[in-house]
Amino acid sequence: MASNAPFQFAGDSDSDDDNFNPAPADVSDDENAAQSSKRSAEKSTRRGSSPAADDDHSDEEEEDERPSKSASKQSRDAADNDEEGDEEDEDDGGAGRHGDDDEDEDEEDEDDEDDDDDDVQHRHRRKRRKDHRAAFFDIEAEVEDEDEAEDDEKDGEEIEDFIDNAHPDDIAESGHLDDDRRHRELDRRREIEASMDAEKQAEILRARYGKRAPAKGYGEMAVVPKRLLLPSVDDPGIWAVRCKEGKERDVVFSIMRRVEERAGSKDEVPIISAFERGGPNSVMKGYIYVEARRQNDIMIALDGVLDVYPRTKMILVELKDMPDLLRVTKTPNLEPGAWVRLKKPAKHSGDLAQVLDVTENGLEARVRFIPRLDYGVRDDALSARTADGKRKRPGMPGPRPPQRLFSEVEARKRHPRYIQGNPQTNTWTYMGEDFENGFQVKDIKIQQLEVKDVNPTLEEVTRFASGSEDGTENLDLKALAASLKDSNTNVAYVPGDVIEVYEGEQRGVIGKAVNVQGDIVTLRVMEGDLAGQTIEVPNKGLRKRFKTGDHVKVIGGSRFRDEVGMVVKIVDDRVTLLTDQTNTEVTVFSKDLREASDIGGQGSLGQYSLLDLVQLDPTTVGCIVKVDRESMVVLDQNGDARQVMPSQIANKLPKRRTAVAADRNGSEIRLDDVVREYGGQQRQGKIIHIHRSFIFLHHNATTENAGVFVTRAGNVNTIAAKGGRATNSNSGPDLSTMNPALKRNPTGNGNGMQPPKTFGRDRAMGQTVSIRRGGYKALMGIVKDTTDTHARVELHGKNKIVTVPKADLIFKDKVTGKTIDIYSRSGRGGFGGGTGRGGFGGPGDRMGGSRTPMGAGGGERTPAWGAPKSTARTPAWGRGEASGSRTPAWGDGSRTANPYDGSRTSYGDGNRTSYGGATSYGGGSRTPAWSSSAKTPAHEGFGHGSKTPAYGSGGSHDPWGSKTPAYGVSAPTPGASGADSWGYTPGASGGSHPYDAPTPGVGLGAPTPAALNAPTPGAYSAPTPAAISAPTPGAWQGGWGADAAPTPAVGAPTPAASGGYYGAPTPAAYGGAPETPAASGEIRYADDD
Amino acid sequence: MFFLHNLERRVTLHPSYFGRNMHELVTTKLVKDVEGTCAGDYYIIAIMDTFDVSEGRILPGSGLAEFTVGYRAVVWRPFKGEVIDAITQTVNPHGFFAQAGPLRLFISSHLMPDEIQYDASATPAQFTNNADIVIEQGTHVRVKIIGLRTEVGEMWAIGSINGDFLGCLQA
Repeated sequence: MASNAPFQFAGDSDSDDDNFNPAPADVSDDENAAQSSKRSAEKSTRRGSSPAADDDHSDEEEEDERPSKSASKQSRDAADNDEEGDEEDEDDGGAGRHGDDDEDEDEEDEDDEDDDDDDVQHRHRRKRRKDHRAAFFDIEAEVEDEDEAEDDEKDGEEIEDFIDNAHPDDIAESGHLDDDRRHRELDRRREIEASMDAEKQAEILRARYGKRAPAKGYGEMAVVPKRLLLPSVDDPGIWAVRCKEGKERDVVFSIMRRVEERAGSKDEVPIISAFERGGPNSVMKGYIYVEARRQNDIMIALDGVLDVYPRTKMILVELKDMPDLLRVTKTPNLEPGAWVRLKKPAKHSGDLAQVLDVTENGLEARVRFIPRLDYGVRDDALSARTADGKRKRPGMPGPRPPQRLFSEVEARKRHPRYIQGNPQTNTWTYMGEDFENGFQVKDIKIQQLEVKDVNPTLEEVTRFASGSEDGTENLDLKALAASLKDSNTNVAYVPGDVIEVYEGEQRGVIGKAVNVQGDIVTLRVMEGDLAGQTIEVPNKGLRKRFKTGDHVKVIGGSRFRDEVGMVVKIVDDRVTLLTDQTNTEVTVFSKDLREASDIGGQGSLGQYSLLDLVQLDPTTVGCIVKVDRESMVVLDQNGDARQVMPSQIANKLPKRRTAVAADRNGSEIRLDDVVREYGGQQRQGKIIHIHRSFIFLHHNATTENAGVFVTRAGNVNTIAAKGGRATNSNSGPDLSTMNPALKRNPTGNGNGMQPPKTFGRDRAMGQTVSIRRGGYKALMGIVKDTTDTHARVELHGKNKIVTVPKADLIFKDKVTGKTIDIYSRSGRGGFGGGTGRGGFGGPGDRMGGSRTPMGAGGGERTPAWGAPKSTARTPAWGRGEASGSRTPAWGDGSRTANPYDGSRTSYGDGNRTSYGGATSYGGGSRTPAWSSSAKTPAHEGFGHGSKTPAYGSGGSHDPWGSKTPAYGVSAPTPGASGADSWGYTPGASGGSHPYDAPTPGVGLGAPTPAALNAPTPGAYSAPTPAAISAPTPGAWQGGWGADAAPTPAVGAPTPAASGGYYGAPTPAAYGGAPETPAASGEIRYADDD
Repeated sequence: MFFLHNLERRVTLHPSYFGRNMHELVTTKLVKDVEGTCAGDYYIIAIMDTFDVSEGRILPGSGLAEFTVGYRAVVWRPFKGEVIDAITQTVNPHGFFAQAGPLRLFISSHLMPDEIQYDASATPAQFTNNADIVIEQGTHVRVKIIGLRTEVGEMWAIGSINGDFLGCLQA
């Protein structure tokens, strides 16, 4: 207790004085108490003389202290008491072990007879009976004696004796006479004791003290004082006197000095005690408390003492508050390594500091902190300004310098004279301050430190950890976590916690908390003898108890706060758990844990949450893979995981739903697509972010970086695109497996549409080709043989025949080397043309026939198709423009044009690949496209015209039979595919949808799924074209009557917006329709997968 | 531990499936939906049979039909303290992951006998006592479950091989 020393001193001054400065010393008492002081002087003299001889001296003194203290106090109280009164008082103080005086005397007589020994001196009758030391044996004797009843009385009487005997005459007699002898005796005894062997000695000691069971008198004393020692109105008052804050202790010390100085003089300090209850956080700071009889005494005592203001209003402490004044409060213990904040050097106020050491008196602490030095830069400016230039202004003008580690070089620049130190140990003294390893080290009074609620932030602590001069980070987060542990926070137990008592009487008891009130926890014991009982135990000495396998959550001050995991190991109160989120092991104190009911963990820090994409610097982005309390781990685009703080993040990049990238095959990938790395580790994952050419993938199988990894978009293959995932429960019921319609045609399922059959020799045979990709990329060769998908190419360069996917071939003109489209050139499209020219055989023929004229009417029958040399589109466009009549059609909104877009693609690819490549069909993306643009309008037309017969005719070749639905089925496909392949051009897909999707919706049965999948847009946009096309009878006619068709198409520009548009494609539609339906129908399902 | 468990589930059917074999479809869908899933604290391994396929009710708004189907399934519920056999999947310095059917287990290095140590230099990395016990990817281990965590659609356990007859299963 801070105030102990002064308090004791002040309070005990009398008795201490009594002990060692017998008669004259006792003047510290009130003048009023002169008489009584005389009394006590007697007493003390006697004591002063006797104790030396006694080996129980110290014991006694302790025991005697209280009585004598209160005695002297009371003696002062009763200023005008006579001797008898005093005697009584002292009796009380002497622990009231005896009856009244009369009895005493009687017994003493008996004792006299009993007493035999050392009756050497002639003394007072009573005295002689026993050695003076007996006075100090009172307690001793009491316990020692066998028959206590009798001895108690004796002892009491001895005390009485001792008090009574304190007579001036005695002092004169005995004190001096005995002195020498006694000393010798003591010496002798010590010698004897020393010569005895330890065992014997121990026995003696045991005999002497062994039975020191809690004695009766003591037991009473332990209880009684609590009540009796409470201050009463008769006790002196305590005044609170203002003093300078923080100087409380100094004031008390100076009072103490003053008491010492004036002790014995005539102007003795008239107070009884003085103490303080200051401290940085005390509510009683700014006051000292002085115990005195009168207020005026305090004035006298404190007159002239620095930093205390007795002239201001003193507050008399109320009686009931007095005990509280002396209540012991535990002061926060500063330990080396603890974090504090500085209050005092104004320059550093609020700065974090670390305690290195605490002085023994607990007043000062040696702390280290990061200096704020300007190395004299500002000095010059200041001195230049001030006229005298002698001193800079006190205090800190302007902003304080930033915190930077001490730099010897800097210091030498300006103040080479003021710096000295040792480069080896990196300790320096500069301008009177000490620096170690860059930190300033200073002894600071504890009052000037903020000890509680320091809450060091990670940033601050990090700077301390980066001890090296250049500030490179060498932060050990583990250590940091330990240091961040806020030891001040008390353990909070909540009902339901399973708690183990590890200290105290109840040690080992395990129970469940049922109630917590303040510091008292009520436990229902679960195990052991007490099972079922409810006991109350203090908060201290408890710890929470967990078992391995428990699912716990970290609470409290740990760095791992909010982590949730399973306990894997427990050592004392340290619990290791495996976190759910990252599958890493962390170790925390059990007090920071709580049984977890919820799952997951902390997923966010401020605005940043797990798996967010954040901008680290203008060129770097990263994905948050771990979130801690104050920092997070970010996986940047280069694949490096780094620890950053929120302040280091430039901003958060919102998730761009529409972001697309192209994978290795050039097909688009979007968020949530599942892709696999090509080569490398072949990691597979779901795309969570696309940033430029980087994609961040997430996969559950790995725990590293929360399962996130980064790669380049060009380095992955698509496994499953989002729309096509079978398990995507959001997109509606999975119809692929159960749709009866599908079951009827199991072969087509999933594999995409069959390539249209071509008849006769593959056109690719014998062609000169160059290879587009793969190991033979860019080599030229001649196609020797083909399958549906592959071609065997004899290379020009090497004498070798290689097998290459047809899709990877570029057909070249043998002579010119130009890229050509063999299908279009020779056949007007493998299939558009084929239709026209009989490529499709019989069925196509009819249609083709009918169409051809139309095409011809338009100028070239193939406009949409064949005209393209390499790509279908250009000619189509060109032609459309040239003819004039179609232009409007093209121009007709995005939608109209788009189908062409679609068509162009498809042709480009379709023609080349498709027929060969089931892939492209399967992919569903392109091939359908060809049909889409061309066909759709036609379908519309059909749909509206309800020309089923026509369909029928077309459909007769359809494997599915006659189906109208077939058309419908085919129609939607392009929509889907158009969207897929041309995702970049939203218009394109948007445009194709309306055409395609609605059709099935309009009238056809089987395609329902299509309707389900893309109904809305279709429904809305579909009508428009339909409306346009439908009304134009010509268009219909054109569609149907092959002959009639061209006319309106060409001739009716206005409706041609649609009509013309239809005109051109229609043929294709016809051509395409018969085949497509089945194939594309399957695609639809494939898409559903 | 495996159990036969009677369960009930609502199955919705798309209108395009309405027809004669609807019940068959319902069963098919049920099997597809349910088999191999984790229902909180147990896994539904296989559906034995269904009974009580209620009549379908069209759900307003969507047109789907909902059937209530009772079924009997073989379920597997791992218990704390249960000893199961698993196959090691990945090994890292903190321990190793193992798979017991659908259940993923982690066996922390704290929960192994002391003599079993992580050996990073081996390829693949392994836990070994430098004698007969080698736990690497693919090793069959016998593990005691000491903690279970259940999440929606997922279970997750930590296990121990610290005990008699636990650990590496020699082939």
